[in-house]
This record gives sequence, structure tokens and C-alpha cells, in this order.
Amino acid sequence: MFRFIHTADWQLGKPYAWAEPEVRSALTDARFDAIDTIGKLANEHSATHVLVAGDVFDTEGPDPRTIVQALSRMERHACHWWLLPGNHDFVRAGGLWDRIEARLPGNVYLISEAQPSELEGGMWLLPAPLVHRHQDDDPTEKFDTMKTPGAKLRIGLAHGSIVDFGAQGETKNQIAPDRAARSGLDYLALGDWHGSLQVNARTWYSGTPEVDRFQRDEPGKALLVELKQSAEPVVTELRTGKYQWLKRDWRVDDAAGFEAQRAQLLDECNPAETLVRLTLSGITTLTDRVAMLRSLEDELAHRFRYFAFSATDLVAKPSDDDLAAFAAEGILGTAASTLNARIQEDGPESLIARRALERLFVEHAKAIGS
Amino acid sequence: MQLERIVATNFRKFRDPMVIEGLGSGLNVVIEPNETGKSTLLEALRAGLFVRHGTKNQLAQSFMPFGENVAPEVEIEFQIDGERWRVAKKFLKSPALEVHGPKGRTSGDAAEEKLQALLGFERSTSRDADLDSYGALGLLWVGQGDALSIKAPGEIVRNSVRSTLEAEVGSIMGGATHDAVRAAVDKQFADYWTPGGAIGGRQKSARDAAQKTRDAAYQAASELAALELSFTELADKQARMKVLKRELADERDAQARADLMKSLETAQAAALMLGQRKAERSAAQADADALGEFAERHKNAVKAKTEAAGALADANAERANVEAEVADAKKKEESAKHALSSARDARAAARSALGDARLLATAASQHSAIADAKSRHERLVELESELAEAKKIEASGVDPQTLKSLESLQRDVATASAELSAGSTTIELVGEASHITVDGNEFGDGARTIVEESRIGIGGGAELIVKPPRGTASAQARLDDLNARLKSELSQLGVASVSEARNRVDAARDAKASTAALDARIEAITPAVPAIELGTGADALRKFVASIADSDTVAPDTIPDLAALEKRFEDAEEGLATADGTYQAALEALRKAEEKDRPLATAETSARSTLASAEQQIAKIEADPRFANLDAELLAARKEAAGADVAWQKAQENAGSLDPDAIERQIEKIDKRAESARTQATELQLEIARLEATIETEGGKGLAEAAAKAEEEAEAAQRSLDRVSEEAATVKLLRDTLEDARLETSRTYVGPIARRAKRHIERLLPGCDLSFTEDLQLQSITRAGTEEGCTHLSRGTQEQLAVLTRLAFADMLLEKGRPVSLILDDPLAYSDDARLDLMSDILAEAAERMQVILLTCRERAFRHLGGTHIAIG
Repeated sequence: MFRFIHTADWQLGKPYAWAEPEVRSALTDARFDAIDTIGKLANEHSATHVLVAGDVFDTEGPDPRTIVQALSRMERHACHWWLLPGNHDFVRAGGLWDRIEARLPGNVYLISEAQPSELEGGMWLLPAPLVHRHQDDDPTEKFDTMKTPGAKLRIGLAHGSIVDFGAQGETKNQIAPDRAARSGLDYLALGDWHGSLQVNARTWYSGTPEVDRFQRDEPGKALLVELKQSAEPVVTELRTGKYQWLKRDWRVDDAAGFEAQRAQLLDECNPAETLVRLTLSGITTLTDRVAMLRSLEDELAHRFRYFAFSATDLVAKPSDDDLAAFAAEGILGTAASTLNARIQEDGPESLIARRALERLFVEHAKAIGS
Repeated sequence: MQLERIVATNFRKFRDPMVIEGLGSGLNVVIEPNETGKSTLLEALRAGLFVRHGTKNQLAQSFMPFGENVAPEVEIEFQIDGERWRVAKKFLKSPALEVHGPKGRTSGDAAEEKLQALLGFERSTSRDADLDSYGALGLLWVGQGDALSIKAPGEIVRNSVRSTLEAEVGSIMGGATHDAVRAAVDKQFADYWTPGGAIGGRQKSARDAAQKTRDAAYQAASELAALELSFTELADKQARMKVLKRELADERDAQARADLMKSLETAQAAALMLGQRKAERSAAQADADALGEFAERHKNAVKAKTEAAGALADANAERANVEAEVADAKKKEESAKHALSSARDARAAARSALGDARLLATAASQHSAIADAKSRHERLVELESELAEAKKIEASGVDPQTLKSLESLQRDVATASAELSAGSTTIELVGEASHITVDGNEFGDGARTIVEESRIGIGGGAELIVKPPRGTASAQARLDDLNARLKSELSQLGVASVSEARNRVDAARDAKASTAALDARIEAITPAVPAIELGTGADALRKFVASIADSDTVAPDTIPDLAALEKRFEDAEEGLATADGTYQAALEALRKAEEKDRPLATAETSARSTLASAEQQIAKIEADPRFANLDAELLAARKEAAGADVAWQKAQENAGSLDPDAIERQIEKIDKRAESARTQATELQLEIARLEATIETEGGKGLAEAAAKAEEEAEAAQRSLDRVSEEAATVKLLRDTLEDARLETSRTYVGPIARRAKRHIERLLPGCDLSFTEDLQLQSITRAGTEEGCTHLSRGTQEQLAVLTRLAFADMLLEKGRPVSLILDDPLAYSDDARLDLMSDILAEAAERMQVILLTCRERAFRHLGGTHIAIG
């Protein structure tokens, strides 16, 4: 039996510049930490080899620090790291990999050419490194003609999407879905798809070890693969990701509905290691909306590692009670009804007026409270 | 509120305590001369109640008496709603405040707050006196000159007034909640906007940040693009290098070049041969040509000689003929010349004879003309005598106008005579009675016409007096006069009667006609005769006749036959012409004959010369050694030339297929290609090295990651800007809306305030309408439909209105239950007496509702007022 770790899409050096600096550095560090996690898991599961199926780096020109971090993290672990250039970090003359090659630690192997390597006795690795960002032909086609003398196991390593894999995938670098069967592979380790995914019995996407965008709730994973001759591979998903990225759309029409959603969200994750992007929609009273937003801004947002929300579609209709609360306040009541009238007029002004009215409610509430 | 007692010590000019006591609840008049400290009293009141005891600001410093270092003190006692209060305040040195109220004593800051709550004022933050912060009493305690212009009340007063009116206008200013909200909103507004409403604060920062990150992203993207371009170029150059190297390694060109070199050698040999053959052919051809030309020359010379000899003979024969012709012509010419000479002589003789004859004929005709002239002259003399006669008659003629007047006069005489005879008496004596006299005269025979009283003596001394009718005498006189005039005129004309005058007129007319006829006849007989140099006219004729001598009139003896002579001359002329023509013809014939000889002579000379030349040439040619075997040599030379030509053509064929130039060009092309490939390879190598170096340097800088990061940052900054902009717009809208609402609400209070103020002001300005601004300042008054801005009113009216609006506000504050008292320092300085009385009445009435204290130096003006009169002690 041959055991190895299948991982991909480390995307080291991904900037996260949309986030505030402390979140940014946390997310950046988490990607480096994932290397350590994988190294430890390899050790735990007695896997000698870690196959990285492309996109080790997020760009072909990463920051020197990114490179040093990556190599030094890998060097710390006993396992052998096999790095395959993907579309983000493709091979080219004078490019990224040429510069790194001389600095590679002894346990890190760069696959810059489509040449098979014998990992151990009879265990052959058939790689398909990308030499362009976008390749029109199937990079794994060469597997058909690769000589692997005395092979007991043939393991393919490639980066790209499966033909007709789905609308969201890359349309270039497309790989035949039956490549494993066609080229007589015992296992085809793929990268590019950021969620772990089984294509068929012998073809898997490992997904990224640390999630990098709001696309799926699952945290990042690596795959532990166990191969035996003439047997289907046994694949185990191992969690490697630190952060969970949650995208939520809440439809709330009153305070109770909001509270239920809020409770459920807090229940289903570890907020300190969770990033949330929330979209609120629904129709509610102004008082409720103000209360909800205050809850989000003053409380919930601070619980999470990162919390962003949009309440544009949460439409507040000031109730008679809302307006009555103001009427006693003279000028404030006049201002509130002016704004309410403007909200009724459609147009871009209407949205601003809605926010202004809301702000008036908030400030009024604060003044009453103090 | 009722002030009762005020004591100021060490305050301004009062080093010793200044005490005012016994202030009553109604009207109080404090009358004191200038400089006694009325105004200081008001200052002391304000200091005692509103200026914080602990302050050391400029205002507090000013309380100290000039040049002394003592602690100003103020003590005030007053009542509010029946409760008594006492305030004791000390400034600067050991400052202290004590307030005694119904619920005991407080001191220090607590006492300050107590006073603020009690009197409704705020802690002033100004270094000077801030009347607005003193609240209602700041408005109602009017210092000297403060009431001269109409001002808006401060915020505290406005709020108090508005809260008084809230129930009435049903509108609420918002109070503390509104103020808190508004303050919060204003603060937020200031976060995003400048006070002037321009983009500022966070909005500006966000905008700057967005711009900065956008620039940075652009910069990073540009750097990355430059690096990527280097990669692309490198790949491109390397691909080209590969192709070049393949080209350089290609053997085909080298082989082709070697083949071409071989061909070139062959071609060059053939070209050499061709040149040689060409030279040989040229030489043989030249030999043959030279010999051929030599033979041709000889042949031509012989031919020329033969032709010249023939021509010479022909010329000689021709010339012989022509010479005979010339001799004949010469003879004829001489004979014609002789005949011409004779004809000339004959013509000369005829001309001479004719001339003589003509002279004679002329003399004869002149003579006859002179005779004619003489005879005409005689006739002229006759005619001129007739003419003179006729002219005399014409001159003696009477002017027809004169005749008319004569005839008229004659008619008048006839008329007068008729009149006389009609009025006169005619007496006739029949018989013989010689003694009868008329006026002494014998009666005579026949009838007598009596025109005047006449005495007819009938003898015996008797007289018969005949008196014709009156007027007869005058008629007689008129007739006499007319007759006299007629006579005079006739005598003047030299005629006896009118009929004679008429005859004279007729004679003159006839004479005039005959004068014209005579003139014509004279002209007819005095024509010009050029032959005798006689001019036209009578004078010319007279002169001519006078000038001629008798000898001139002698006629020649005989006159020759002119016609015969002329005929003879004409014949001679004709003969001359004929002879001349004959001579000319002969001369022409001679010329023509001589002409014919000239070319013949030339031809003969030329033929002779040609012949000589030909003979000379022949002799020279025949002397040449080549002449001996000329024909044989010529044939041999021609054969030689034909052979050389064949050899040349063959050489040409050999060389034609191999053009060394073309081959050399091909070789050159191959060489150039190789050279160019090598140069390109060198250049490419250089470029590749440069690009590799660039990539080596730039590639390690992490440009791609930096660019991705910069791009994301720019997007984030843009999103942040969008959020901030939206937030800013929201805050702005909210603030604007609040401001509009505030203004709108403010406006609702204006009406009730105007109504209240009008109650007072109407007494001063009956029937006026008032207009207030939103901050409750009296803006204008309208009288009889005319609106007047307050600042345009007279100073006196402005002061009065300022006092009255204060009074109105005081009333409203009173309604609200605020402590109110009115102090006016030296008021109404500009009021006339009527207004002063009216204002005094109004103030006295007001004093029934509130305490009013008047501080004045004008004793007389306010002496009549009731109330409490107090002196400062």
C-alpha cells in the first residue's frame, strides 16, 4: 500500500487587501500555517509524499517573503513535497520557478517538465505542469505516452478543470474526465477547484487547504490517499483549514425572525475563526430595522473574525407608531415626515432619504435614552 | 422678580459700598446726574448674578477699581414668587459666592448652578460680557445705548418665548431632544463636510485614499505589465533565435555556393575566349575594309576623270554658240541707241517751237481780256451813277411810321374841321354890298363861316354882331393847332402835303428795289479774270483799269497755229518712246545672251579643275605598291574576315549560357543571407541577454503579488469611498432636512409674537403691522401699506421699538412664569415730548405687571412719573 497526501491551490501570497489590515495578516498567515498543518498530517498518517496539484503561489511573481515563508515551512517537515506549477504560477523561462529552483530545500521537488518520476520503487508520478497561464490543449494528454518502466502504481498530477466541469470552472487547461482510465492511472490528483471533489473513483480534486473566498461553507481540506495495485483508492478528507467562510442571506421581517437567524449562526460556527458575509432582505418597521442594524453593528460584527453585511434590501417602512413617536418632537417630527415623503418618491434620492430617516431614528433613540 | 437691595463694594468706581435700597415691586425711578454710577449699578447687578465668581477673565479684572488691588464684591437681595433670595459674590481675591434662598444656603459652584436654574441663564464661555448667555435678564436689563438698535433676542430667550407659545401655535421646537439630535447630526456632518458644505473630513480622506490607491494600483499594474512584456519579448526572441540557429546550421546554402563557384570559373574562361575572338574578327574585318576602300577610291577617281573630260567638252561647244548670239545682240543694241538719240533731238525741236507759240497766244488773250475789262469798267461807271441816284431817293423817303402819324394827324384835322363846321355859323351875303364888313374887313363873296363873335358892319355905323355857339371858337383853335402841327411836321419832312409824303414813301420803296438790282448787275460785270490778275468786285476792276498803260493794250501781230505745233510735239514724243523701247529690248537681249555664257564659263573652269584633281589622284593610287595585286589581295582579306566572324559567333554561343555576373550575384546573395543571419543572431543574443537580465532583476520583486494587492486595495478604497459618500449624502440630507424643519417651525412662532408686540407698538404707531425674522428680530413695520425696514427708521423710533419689543418679550416670559424685571439705563434719549409721555405711560402700565427700574440723569423728563424715586447712596 502506498500512502500520500493530495493537496492543491495553496494560493500563497493572496493579498486579501479588501479586508482591514489585521484580518488581512491573519488570513495571509493562515495560508502559510496550512503548510505546517499538512506537514503534520503527513507525519501523523505516515505519508512520505505530499503532491501539490498546482497554484502553490497565487501569482507568478510572489513577494520574496511569500517564497521564503513557503520554502521554510516545507523544509520543517520530513515529508517530500512535489510542487506542480498551475495556471497561477506556471513555468516559464526566467520565471518564478527558475528563480526558486536553486533555493529549494532538499525535500522539495519542483516539477517543471512533463517527465515521469519514480517516487519510490515502482511508484511513478506522471505530472502535467502548466507552461502557460492558459493552455488550449489537454495538459494530461502526454500521460498516454509516458514511459514508466516497472510501474506498480501510476499517479497522475495535473491542474485544470474537467471538460464540462461546470460553468464556474476555468474553461482553459481542460482535462478529459476519463483521463485516469485512458492513461492507465491508479489515481489522478487534480488541482484548480477550490472545494474537495470526487470526479470518479480514481480522480479527485483536493480543494484548497485554506478557504480563500465566500463560496462554500466547508473549511479547507487535504486528501489522504491510500493506493493498492488493482484496487480502488481509499481517500480520506482531512481538515486543514483554520477559517470558515460563511455567506448568508437572511430574510427577516421582524425582530423575532432576526433573533432566530442570529442564534442559529452563532450556534453553527466558532465565531472567532469565522468570516461572514451577510445579506439582509425583507420588509420591517423602522424601529425593528434600526434595532437589527444596531445589533449587527454593535454586537455581532465584533464576535467574528470578519463580518460584513448589506442591509440595502432590508426595507424599513416607518409605521404610524414610528412617526407618532416623533410627532411630539416638533422639528424632529417635521423632519421625519419630510424624509418619509421623499422616500415615497422613487429614485436614488429615495434610498438616501431612507437612510437619513433611519439615522434620525437612531439619533432620536440615543437622545431619548441619554 | 423684584430686586430689593443692591450693594457694590470695591466695584469699579465704588470703593466704598454703594447701596441701593427700597426698590419696589412696580416702577422705580433712579434719577442721578451723570457720573454718579448708574451704569455701574447695572454692571454690578450683572456681575453679581451672571459672572462666575471664580473667573479671572478680562471682565472680572475690569470690576476692580482702577489702580487698586482689592476684591470687588456685590450683594443682591431679591424676591421671586414671594420667596426671598440673597446673593453675595466676591471676585478675584478669595472669590466666593453665597446664595441664601428659601431652602437654605449654598455656596461656590453649587450656588452658581442654583442661580442659573433660578434665573434661567447659562454659563458664559466668553471672555467678555455675553448678554445672550444671561438669558431673559440679559435682554431685559438694558444698558446705556444697548437699546438704540433693534436686535434679535438670544437663544435662551427665544426658546423661552417659543415654549410660552407652544400651546398656542401647536408647534414644538423640539427642545432638548431636538438639540441633542441636531448636535449629533451636526457633528456627523462635520465628519464629512466642511462648514461651507464642501467635501471634507472623512469624505475627503476616503476620496484621497481612493485616488491614492488607484494611482498605486495603476503604477503596480504598469510595472507588472512591463515585466510581462519582457517575458513575452524574451519568448519571442528566443523563438526567433531558434529559427536563426537552424538557418545558420543549414548546409544547403554552402553547397549551392560551391556549385556556383565552379560555374563561375567556367563562365569566366568562356568570356575570355569570346573577347579574343571578338578582337580577331575586328582586325580581319578592318583589313578587308581598308583594301576594299582602296580599290573603291581608284575606281571613283577614274570615273571622275572621265566625267570631267566630257563636261569640259560640252561646255566648250556650248560657249561657242553663245558667243555668236552675244555679238548679234550687241550690234542690234548699237543701232537702237542711235535711233534713240535722233528721236530725242526731234522731240527737243518740237517742244521749243510749241513753247514760243504758246507765249504768243497768251499775250493775245491777255490783251483781249484787258480790252474787255475796260469796256466793263465803262458800264460799271454808268451803273454806279444810277445806284447813287436810287440811293438818294431811298434816303429821302419818309418813314412809314411817320407817314402813319401824318395820316392820323390829317384825320384829326378833318375831324376837327368837321366839328367846326357843324358848330359854326355860316353867313352868306347875296348881292353886292361892299360896305358890309366883317370885323372891319370887306365881306367878300361867298359864304362866310363865323366861328367867333364877329361884327358885321352893315354900314351906318351899324354892326351886326354874330355870335356863333359857344365852343366854336375852341373848335377853331383846335383845328388851327392841328393844322399848325401838320404843317410843321410836313415842313420838317420837306413835303407840302400828306399825299406827297405818301408818294415819297412809295418812291423810296421802289428805289430800294432798284438799288438791289443795280448791286446785282455791278457784281455780274466785275468777275475775276485770273489771266490778267484781276480780282473780283468793282474796286478791283477800277484799280486794274487805272493801273494799265496804253502799251499793254497793243495786240500781237500774228498768232501761230498752236494745234499744229502741239501735234508735231506729240508725234516727236511718240517717236522718242518707240526708240527708247527698242533700245531697252536690245539691251535686255544683250544681257540675256551674256548671262547664258556665265554658267558655261564656270562649268568649263570646274570641269577643268575636277579633271586635274582626278588625274592627280589616279597617279597617286597607281603609284601605291598595293595597286599591283589589288584584286587578289582584296579577295584574300575578305575570306579572312568571314572566317574570324564564324569563330566569334561560336565563342559567343559558348559564353552565352554562363553569365559570370549573374553567378556572382547569386553567390553574393547567399553570402549576404549568411551575414545577415549572423548579425541577427548577435543582436538577438544581446536582446535576450538584456531581457534575461531585466527579468532576473524585476522578476524577483514580487510584482505580480504587489499588483494584485494594490488592485484589491484600490477596489476596497473605492468601496469605502462609495460607502462614505453615501453616508455623507445621508448625513447632509438629514441635516438639511432638520434645518428646513427648524426654520419652518420657527416661522410658525413669528405670527403670535408679532401679535403680542403689536399690542404695545400700536400705541406708538397706530395701525402698523410688524414683521419678525425667524430668530424673532423685529425686521420691518408696515404703515399705510408701506413697509419700512427697522434700520431705516429714525433713531428715536428705533429706540422706542427696541424698548417695546423687549417689553413684549418680558410679557411673554412672564406668562411662562419666568422671573422678569425690566431695567432701562438712560432710556428714550431721542424721544420727543409726546412720545416720551406715551412711553412713560406704557412703562408705568408695565410696572403693574413687573418690576421696572429706570436709571436716568434727566430728572425733568421722568419727575412726573409715579412709583418709587430712589437715589444712589
